[in-house]
Amino acid sequence: MAELNEIIHQPIRLRTMAALVTLEPNEEVDFTYLRKLLDVTDGNLGAHLRKLEEAGYIFINKVFVERMPRTYVSATAAGRKAFIEHVTALELILKGK
Amino acid sequence: MSISPTEAEEALEAIQVMVKKTRRAISNSGAYAFLIIWGVVWLVGFLGSQFLPAEIGGYFWIVMDVLGGVVSAITGMRLGKNIRSSKNTISGKQIGIFWLLVFLYCGAALWVSGITEGKQLAMLIILFVMLGWMAMGLLLSFYSVWTGLALTLLALIGYFFLPNLFYLWMAILGGGGMIFMGLYIRYRW
Repeated sequence: MAELNEIIHQPIRLRTMAALVTLEPNEEVDFTYLRKLLDVTDGNLGAHLRKLEEAGYIFINKVFVERMPRTYVSATAAGRKAFIEHVTALELILKGK
Repeated sequence: MSISPTEAEEALEAIQVMVKKTRRAISNSGAYAFLIIWGVVWLVGFLGSQFLPAEIGGYFWIVMDVLGGVVSAITGMRLGKNIRSSKNTISGKQIGIFWLLVFLYCGAALWVSGITEGKQLAMLIILFVMLGWMAMGLLLSFYSVWTGLALTLLALIGYFFLPNLFYLWMAILGGGGMIFMGLYIRYRW
């Protein structure tokens, strides 16, 4: 039976994972773009991304694009699986099972 | 960890909102700008063809196409790469070059074919622009292939079945439709 995931359930991390799993598995999103999408501060998002990265749910890719440093974020396969399980657990609670 | 059904419902709602917001943001990442640019070119160009003398209308189109091409190229080059894909490594600069090439080839095709009749010229340009639009849609996942096919069909219907109203038909339905769709994607999607 699917169980709630404490790491994912925190509101900002929940929204972050929702945004990341919406992308295709081969896609990654720019950190600044993700921050604007979530409407959070740099520091706040950075802290939550570290937590998700430590859990192995996301991958942080630091690259140079046209000589400018940019950070891209994507959901890992484990992250996608954990998110789906978390959503399933939420749905079961809502159904009263 | 345990939560109440109300908390579960709130969490699921937050997820749905975020998924919708992300999809909208991805859709907004550039497609609407090209729709509006070419919508304006078509609207002004076809109105010119309908109401101006044929010679002036022809020159009017050349100016509008060059303007549209330059603005599209600049917009393509300035498009940010907010979402990257390992499958898709096309840069904004490449999009800009792609549109310049489409116009160079369109110009060459017009030159070689020697077409001088207004409606034929317009139809050939439309076919090139729509081909470029759909190729870009396929490469960048802008989901714009259906728009391109619909506009091409609209143009062909006007060309073959409404020759006297062709320019007005294309200005209002083609140009106006593209502007409306661009604005819809930008503000409502």
